[in-house]
Amino acid sequence: MKKLIAIMLTLCLCMTTCLAFAETTLKLGIYPEDVDTAAIESHETYISIFNETYPDVALERAQYKYATDTFVPLAEAGTLPTIFETWFTEPQKLIKGEFVADVTDQMEARGWLEKMNPSIRTLLSSDDGRLYGVPRDGYALGLMINVEVFEDAGLVDENGVPLYPKTWEELAEVSVKIKEATGSAGLCLLAKDNAGGWHFSNIAWCFGAVFQVQGEDGKWTAQLNTPEVVAAMEYVKDLKWKYDVLTSDPTSEDWGTGFTQLGTGAAAMYIAANDAVSQPTDNNGLAVDKLMMAGIPAGPAGAYSLFGGTPYMLSKTATAEEIDAALNYLEIMGKAPVLTETAKAGLAEDARYRKDNGIPVINEFPVWADDELVAARREVVAEYSNVDPALFDPYFDAVASEGNLKMEEPQITQDMYALLTNVLQAVVTDEAAAIQTLLDEADANFQTMLDEQINK
Amino acid sequence: MIKQTSLRKKNNHVVWKQELGSWLVMLPGILLFVFFIWEPLLEAIRLSLYEANGMRIVRFVGLDNYRSVLTQPDFLPALQNTFSYLIWSLIIGFLIPIFLAIFIQESRCGKSLYRTAVYLPNIVPSLATVFLWRYIFRSDGTGALNMLLSVFGVAPQDWLNNVSRVIPLIVIAMTWKGAGATTLLYLAGLQSIDPELFEAAIIDGANVKQRIFHITVPQIYNLARTLLILQVISVFQILYEPLVMTNGGPNNASVSLMQLVFRYAFEKYDYSRASAVSVLISIALIALTLFYNKVNKEKDM
Amino acid sequence: MKNNDYVGAVRPYDLRRPSVKVGYTIMTILCIFAVLLAIMPVVWVILAGFKELKEFNRGVKAADNHYYLQFLPVSFSLDGYLETWNQMKYLRYYMNSFIVVVGSTICAVLFNGLLAYGLSHLKPRGWKVIYALIMGSLMIPATTSIVPLFINITKLGLSGSFVPLFLSAGASAFYVVMFKNFYDAMPKSLLEAAKLDGCGNMNMFFKIVLPLSMPINMVIVIYAVNAAWSDFLLPYLVLGGTKMETVMVRLFTYRTSNRVNNMDIIRAIVFSIIPPILLFIAFQRQITQNVVSSGIKG
Repeated sequence: MKKLIAIMLTLCLCMTTCLAFAETTLKLGIYPEDVDTAAIESHETYISIFNETYPDVALERAQYKYATDTFVPLAEAGTLPTIFETWFTEPQKLIKGEFVADVTDQMEARGWLEKMNPSIRTLLSSDDGRLYGVPRDGYALGLMINVEVFEDAGLVDENGVPLYPKTWEELAEVSVKIKEATGSAGLCLLAKDNAGGWHFSNIAWCFGAVFQVQGEDGKWTAQLNTPEVVAAMEYVKDLKWKYDVLTSDPTSEDWGTGFTQLGTGAAAMYIAANDAVSQPTDNNGLAVDKLMMAGIPAGPAGAYSLFGGTPYMLSKTATAEEIDAALNYLEIMGKAPVLTETAKAGLAEDARYRKDNGIPVINEFPVWADDELVAARREVVAEYSNVDPALFDPYFDAVASEGNLKMEEPQITQDMYALLTNVLQAVVTDEAAAIQTLLDEADANFQTMLDEQINK
Repeated sequence: MIKQTSLRKKNNHVVWKQELGSWLVMLPGILLFVFFIWEPLLEAIRLSLYEANGMRIVRFVGLDNYRSVLTQPDFLPALQNTFSYLIWSLIIGFLIPIFLAIFIQESRCGKSLYRTAVYLPNIVPSLATVFLWRYIFRSDGTGALNMLLSVFGVAPQDWLNNVSRVIPLIVIAMTWKGAGATTLLYLAGLQSIDPELFEAAIIDGANVKQRIFHITVPQIYNLARTLLILQVISVFQILYEPLVMTNGGPNNASVSLMQLVFRYAFEKYDYSRASAVSVLISIALIALTLFYNKVNKEKDM
Repeated sequence: MKNNDYVGAVRPYDLRRPSVKVGYTIMTILCIFAVLLAIMPVVWVILAGFKELKEFNRGVKAADNHYYLQFLPVSFSLDGYLETWNQMKYLRYYMNSFIVVVGSTICAVLFNGLLAYGLSHLKPRGWKVIYALIMGSLMIPATTSIVPLFINITKLGLSGSFVPLFLSAGASAFYVVMFKNFYDAMPKSLLEAAKLDGCGNMNMFFKIVLPLSMPINMVIVIYAVNAAWSDFLLPYLVLGGTKMETVMVRLFTYRTSNRVNNMDIIRAIVFSIIPPILLFIAFQRQITQNVVSSGIKG
């Protein structure tokens, strides 16, 4: 008994001393899920480098997969990891809810702030210009194509490159041919959750839609029922009811299932971004050389690609030292505008991982204006290349063209997407849906929300 | 009651000690209820009257949150759907177990097979159930139901994406999971019928129909009444079925009240408004239960 | 045919009448239909788990370049299942789930039983208030209060441990009501006699009440095992990201994971239903009989 008490006391003592001399702890939320053995291998490499370079920082593998239903409890209880990855939809919500740490000073001191793509910086900043996140990578929506399906349908040129559609009209025609020849859907359109509205807003831009405008008095006006939006919605309606080239139930398709449909060839085309090329391939079984990416097809008003960035964010409770430790880790991963030897090794490690897992090694969408870094990335991509550039040039050419990139609509965007998704659901499930009426309703609802939340 | 009180007065000290002892027995349970249910609940109710960031209170806003949720465009569809869920779950979910129980009770053979089989879905975890039925009701050829129909040469049908089918289908999935347990409860009631009653009825010349309506059904009437109110309560709290299977679609055709709570809390991180909807649901349920008990009491008198 | 089968409204000689006979046949068909309906989805999901992703989502390629879906998998190779099993390290999650189930079940019987015993037999002044509060919490959706609850748990330093999950099973309004109903129907004379012998409250509960309520204990055990195995939101919050996650927490995280595909989810469903099914097969008689013998008295 005495012995037991003695042990307990020692333990207690140990714990208090530990607490008293608490070193900086980096709780690494971006550690991969344990499904992902290959990615774990990469991160173990980073970790060993990190431990060598920063021996006084304790590193904890605190894998956290961002999910909306678990985030607030963890944040409020203070158990969030120091750094975690979140979705591109979330930054503004997390900033306004004061869940994430201000990293402006640390980023400034490192000189990273000036190098960040200004549009992406806006996405990750509060209204007063403070920065709350670090971009993992940028993305721009494009058209992903399953080359196999195009081959089966005989829609390839002499080099085997798919004859992909360049306008939305062409997309409908090509889809009809594909459906006839292979039975597969032409396009996988999303209509289950907000991602439906997200994709639709991009389609509608090509038809000339502007969903929200700010008046001179600073107040925002909803424009969800303009002729341009109606035209885009009519187009979607035609895809479903006139051409019948969508997957059979768009209301069950979300971001993830879309990749399954594309990857397995149940759909030939899908709107998706360059940072998600692992989805159809590694995750859904499409051979690495059977994926193509092109730009978003053009509509009557031109071609636009929605772009943004997938961010890393840091827990509100992170101390300055912990923030620094997290940024150091990003540097090792090669995710920072710093080109050290370790960063180069990090880039190569990432490319090796992609190549080994059948994920296309393609250029990234630059989030840092750092010529050296961009050049080093290009080099690594060239070295590890596992795809035919002809299959991705159309995409990179499109997003590089003047005026193609467009930021998300600015105000309460998710609410707007939800309203648009509802209209989409009505349109793809009911042939007789009255588009103008539905959009009028959505517009009125959105105006109410704007008035209540923004135009206060 | 009066007698007890006077007894207590006589023996105040002993009684006091006894009372304390009794409370001590209940204490662990009560503490757990306080910790796991009541205190968090009070916290949530309090939150519904404030504006907040996450759980951090910003300022008192009175009933503003309530006003805001009631005028939100999804509220009316959700309320209407709740009644639709209610009606369908009364038609499907409430009646099926009663019929099944009577059928099984009347069966001459296979009783224990029936009992075991209908109870089986009950042990499938609810989350697995909704995932499973989402795959079954898929509207393309990959859905199990459409696959089954194709055996009979029927083309793939629309299921969850059909506005008029979606709620009954969700109710079917719920019934699949829940009906077995309820059936066994009814069976328990039926087994306590004294067979002599039937003998007597037979001697009186009652036919099968009369026997069932005058002996079998009255036996489970009270149980059915209890289960009915439990069912209503659970229908008001439907969440994961529409959330996983349809996300409330198409165009809000299956969105439930609890899903509004979920959307506020877990998609918009607006716990104040989420709590406001929760409180509204609770008030509705308590009112409904009180009303129901009152009606029943009057009837019994 | 045993004699005790003749308990219903329909007797053998009724079957001689054609209308009754037709009705009885329809009834039997409906019963068999119900059995099939109950079993088929489970069988389907197990079969589907054998398929490859493409086979599941698009079908098998035929000569005309079209893909055709088939009900049965092309091959019954266990490779797919094994791959998911190993990749997802299911053995560990099974162990965790097992611990949660055992702990929760003990707490469910013990704490709810004690509380119900107090409410049913001891009835100290003010018990009705507690009972009303318990009944009331049956009607209140718990979804929003999960956040304050989790904050409390973290404040006590219990996050990342099984303890809060065990204890949360000890606060179930539904179980308390079930226990109380059963205890209410117990013969008072037994308890009175024990009391006269100087048996204390706790002793009385453990030596007399608990052993005498085996049927209801069984029912609560069945419910509690089921509930502890199926629960996911609180376990996710408490255990998420640790090595202590349960099988259902895994399935729950698959919703948002971008590292899993349809087949992983399908197989995860199968893994989450196999243990309950095995348990059910082993104890099916006890389970169905006990629920039958001690249903809620209306």
